[in-house]
Formats: sequence, structure tokens, C-alpha cells
Amino acid sequence: MPITVKQSFSLSKKKFFRAPQWELKLAARIFIGFLILYFLVAFLALGVALFFIIRKIFPDQEPVSVVNQWILYFFAIDFLSRYFIQNPPVTDVKSFLLQPITKIQIVRRVMFRSLTSFFNFIPLIVLLPFCVVVSKENGLTLNLWIWFLGILTLSGVSNFLIFLINKNRNVALGIFVFIVGGYLSETYLKSPIIPYVSSAFDKLYSQPLWVGLLLILFSLIWYLTQQFLKSQLYLDKGLSKKKERIIGSKLYFLDRWGVIGVLLKNDIRLIIRNIRARQVVLMGFLFLFYGLIFFTQDIYKENPTTLIFAGIFVTGGFMTTFGQYVPAWDSEYYSLLMGQNLPYIDYLKSKLYLLMFSVVVCSILSLPYLYFGKNTMLIILASGVFNFGFGSLLNLFSGAYNATPMRLNVKAKAFENTQGFNITQMLFALPKLVLPVIIFYIFNLLIDFNAGIIALSMVGVLAFFMKNYLLRQVEKIYQAKKYETLAAFNKNKI
Amino acid sequence: MISVESLSKKYGGLNVLDLQELTIPKGEIFGLIGNNGAGKTTFFSLLLDLIESTSGTVLINEINVQKSEVWKPFTSAFIDESYLIGYLTVEEYYHFIGALRGMTKEEVDAFVVPFEPFFNSEVLNQKKYLRDFSKGNQKKAGIIGALIGHPELVILDEPFANLDPTTQIRLKNILKEEAKKHGTTFLISSHDLTHVTEVCERIVLLEKGVILKDIKTTASTLKELENYFSN
Repeated sequence: MPITVKQSFSLSKKKFFRAPQWELKLAARIFIGFLILYFLVAFLALGVALFFIIRKIFPDQEPVSVVNQWILYFFAIDFLSRYFIQNPPVTDVKSFLLQPITKIQIVRRVMFRSLTSFFNFIPLIVLLPFCVVVSKENGLTLNLWIWFLGILTLSGVSNFLIFLINKNRNVALGIFVFIVGGYLSETYLKSPIIPYVSSAFDKLYSQPLWVGLLLILFSLIWYLTQQFLKSQLYLDKGLSKKKERIIGSKLYFLDRWGVIGVLLKNDIRLIIRNIRARQVVLMGFLFLFYGLIFFTQDIYKENPTTLIFAGIFVTGGFMTTFGQYVPAWDSEYYSLLMGQNLPYIDYLKSKLYLLMFSVVVCSILSLPYLYFGKNTMLIILASGVFNFGFGSLLNLFSGAYNATPMRLNVKAKAFENTQGFNITQMLFALPKLVLPVIIFYIFNLLIDFNAGIIALSMVGVLAFFMKNYLLRQVEKIYQAKKYETLAAFNKNKI
Repeated sequence: MISVESLSKKYGGLNVLDLQELTIPKGEIFGLIGNNGAGKTTFFSLLLDLIESTSGTVLINEINVQKSEVWKPFTSAFIDESYLIGYLTVEEYYHFIGALRGMTKEEVDAFVVPFEPFFNSEVLNQKKYLRDFSKGNQKKAGIIGALIGHPELVILDEPFANLDPTTQIRLKNILKEEAKKHGTTFLISSHDLTHVTEVCERIVLLEKGVILKDIKTTASTLKELENYFSN
């Protein structure tokens, strides 16, 4: 008996409502729902506007033909993104293997589910309004809608091609070279590689019969993918765990720092060897560019207080994204650590040093912001000093209240990043962000810009010199919450 | 080594563990048996100060585990996979544990060499992370990890489960030898009555959190226990 949509939905429903903290997850989902709605509207608007933009910039060209010139780039980038992000949704396939369902049914379910991927919706929600507008402005033609069908078919081909090439690095590299090479040859050599391929899309538009070729191609890819996935439905093939390469095994230089060095070594390995940790750290790195939004705009020049926000984010990106999940990073083996000959204070110190070190690195990496002037740089450096001395401690302090366990080697899905989503953590964002802004604001208002910078830095310096005392206070909270934290971390053990 | 006085743990008014008095002398291989829900793991967690007792105290070498942490340097445990660090290789894990016990890398490497027969060439030099090990090999790695640095007290929860027969026999020899050579006190829980009676000098039977039997192991112990559990 095939699994009906209803059964599948019911399973998902149970999974959701029986998860711990589902109320919070629901709140997060609603928020994310609004985000998705926002993007949806944005893409739809883009689709509607596309026609008018093209008509304005290229008044003497056919709009579809202009789209055709760019669509190749779209597919190339689309393909590369899929290559890195999209995985066949096979995670729950194992439990179906022994059920009275044929393998083909399982494979088809996986394939249909993969079609609902975000990537397949982009051409749909951008080009559908575009085609509607074109039909309205230039008259309804069959050619246009067959062209639309052809593009969607190609998107589907791209969707399944990813499965077939199965993470083959050479194919991805080839496509990357093609994009860069195509772009370079077009801009510098005026060679007609890209236009030549684009003209194929034009042909699809002018001679709709070519869509037949695309449909045949799609059917072929569909068939091949089906056969391929079917052949992979074995525990030692597609369903096996990939063997990982050992990375970061040296790190001997940390040995000289005794116990703290040993713990730091673990943290570095934690970061580089676990999917979830890598994602979070990458996020922290992206915050480095956050300043570009603020520093490039003249309105903020007049109002330096807003720029403190940017400074705090730029220098403290990693610190916040990583720090807010201390001690949850160690949740999988917290019992072990608690039984070891390891004083809490040393554990906290190692985390503190890691956070402080990250602030130094981010501050150095943000030196190019000097381009935006001396004051911008002063804001970043003062925020850096604040984060270095005080922000780092604040993060450890807030972490004591975060007892949501973390599954290290599990990828957080896009729009589903709710692991550790927590109201208390959101409250703690206030002192982390608002406090430095207020400090600067008061001194900037009462005295001047420089006073604000000095005051902000002084808080960091003071906290740095009091760090042993402050850390002891943080340690007391960790001690007091030890049993609660352990219980929470061990609750979801399977 | 361990003394427990009127130790109890309640969850929502329900008594999970209620031990009036229990003393375990140094160097004893102490076995803990009982059906699921008897309170074995709760007892171990209380010993290791991982949960808070509702009443009563645990003293390890006269140290109250809830008040001080100085029992940690000479105590170790392997309860389940959460005592392993999944993203490390076995060697890195051992070096980590060793470093916390004041041992150098070289000392740790030398320490694990004699256990190679126990590992059966499936644990060391595997070039993979602990999370990718099979359950049995994870257990082997964890048990030996708990022995690093010859702690005075070693707590093992179900050490025989998931091990193949050869390894089970080797483990029994290791436990006996460690106790004899270094005076290590072992606390072992198990569902395997044969292994427990063979290895442990003393066996305590728990049921619903209460001690039902506390016996010195003799030739007739196995029969006695089997009779108890078959009713």
C-alpha cells in the first residue's frame, strides 16, 4: 500500500507537536512564515516589475529575449547553489524499507518531495507574474507560455541532475569555470559563447516545438534518477554514512597552555568537525559585512549612535553566534565533563578566551572599514574593546540560562533554525546590543563623540581588569544551575 | 571508599531510590543488579553528583560529593555514549581525559598499549571519529577511557552489554587485574547474572529503589539470583 499524503502529513504533524518546546517552535514557525511571505511578495513584485524595468532599459529589445540572455547565468548559479545546499530528502527512508511498499514508490516519494524544494519555486514565482504582465502588455501568445513551461522543465532537470552527479566535484568546478569564463569572455573578448547559448532559449520562444526536446530530456533524467536512487536504496550504498576525513588533528601549539589549552583544542575541533557548529561560525563571519549596510549610507554619518549597533555586530558576530550556545555546545557529553577533574572556572575561562580571541580577529579583519573614515574605525574599535572585555563575559552569563541541548552534527535546515531558540536568549540580546548604544549615546550627547568612544572602551577595559571577579560570579550561576542544565541536556537522549 | 546514608531520590512524590545505608570498602568489585527501573542508574548519577538527592548524602573517601569537587581527580565513570566526545578520534579523546588527569600524551599512549588485545585492533588508529564507531567499539573505547590514570573508583554501567563474547571475557580479566594490581574499586551494574557473579565479590540487588539482597559472592550465588529473578 502506498503511503498516502494524509499519512505522511500525519507523521509530520506528530513529529512537530511531540517535539520538546513545540510552543516555542510554533512561535518561531509563525515568524518564519511571515519571512517567507515577505520573500514571496518580494519575488512576485520582482516578477511584475521585471517587464517594465526591461522595457525601460532596453526599449528596442523583446523582453523575453533580454531575460533569455540572463537566464543561463541564473541556471548556472541555481545549479551551483543546489550542488552545495540541496540533498535528496532520504533521511526517513530507512524506516520505510521494511514496510510493504515497493522501492519504486519510495523513490518516487523522495523525488516528488525534492520537487517541492525552494529552488524550484524561484523561476515559478518570478516568471509567472512576468509572463502574465507580458501577456497583458504585448498580447497573449502560446509561444510565451510554452517558453515558460520550457524554463520550468529545465529547472526540474537541474533538480534531478544534482542527484545524478552525486557530489561530483569536477562537474561543479566545470560549471563554475563556465560561468566565470563566459562572463569574462563576453565582457573582455566580446566572444559569443553566452549569446550563442542564449539564442537557444530564443529559439524555444520563436519555435515552441523545441519544448518537446526539453520534455524528452526531463523524462530521460527522471527515469535515470529513478533507476539511480533505486540502486542506492541499500544500507551500504546511498543510505550509508559518508566516511569523514579527520581534520584538525595537529593543534599541538595549544598544549603549552595546560588545561585551558586542552579545552581550547576541543573547541576548535568542535567548530571544524560539526556541521551545526560550522554553520553558526559562518554566520558569525558574515556579520563582518554587516557594517557595509550602515557605513555606506550618509544618513547614519550624522547619527553615530546607530553605527554602534554595526560596530557591535561587526566585532562580535562570532562571539554572539557561538557564545550564546555555551554550554549547549557541550550538551552531548556534559555529564562526562561534570565528572572529570575539571573545575568549572577553567571550563568557563577556556570559552571566555575563545570569545575574546574571536573579537580580536574580527576587529583586525574589519580594518578595511578604515576606508569609511577615521570615525567609523573608532566606532568599530571601541565596540571591539567593549565586546572584548564586557560582551564576552555577558555572553557566558547569558549562556548559563540556555539549557536547550544542541545536536552537533545535524544540519539546521533553512528557515528551520530554531535549535536553541529561546525567549531568554532574546531578552539577553538587549544588554548585549542596547547597553553599548546607551553608553555611547549619553556621553556623545553630554560631551562629544570622542567622550562616547572613550566611555564605551572604558567599560570594556574595566570589565577586562575585573574579569577574574566577574567570571567567579558567572561560575556561581553555572554551579547553581548545574543539575537543571544536566537534566535538560540529558532529557532528549535517545 | 563510598559510604551512603539515608540517600533518597524522589520524582514527583515517587521514590526512585531509597538507600538506608551502604558502605563499599576500597578495592572491592561491587556489582549492582536489578530489573529496569530498579534505580541503578539513579544511584550512579547520585554518586557522580549529576542529579541532586532528595535527602541523604554520598561520601567518597569522606568527601561529600555535593559539597566539594575534590573527589573528581580519583573517580571516573563510563555510563553511556554521552561519556564520549563524538567528534574526537579515540586517541584525541584519551589525550583529553589524560590531560585532565595530569598525564602527558606519551604517558597516555603508553597506558593504552597493553589493552590492544581487548580492543582487538578495532579501536586504536582507526582514522575516524568516535561518533562513527559501532556501539560495541564505542563501549570498548569508553571503558578503557575510564581506566586512564588508574583512578581509585571506577563506575561502569552495563559494561558487558553490546560486547562480543571474546571481549566480555577479556573485560572480566581486565577488571579483576586492575582491582588486584592497583586496588581499584569498581562499581558495576549489569543484567548478565553470570558475568556479575563471576567478577564481583559482592552483589547488591535493587528493586524499586530498595536493597533487597546484599550478598558476598559464593558458588551458590548465581543459582540464588536466578531463582529470585525467575519469580
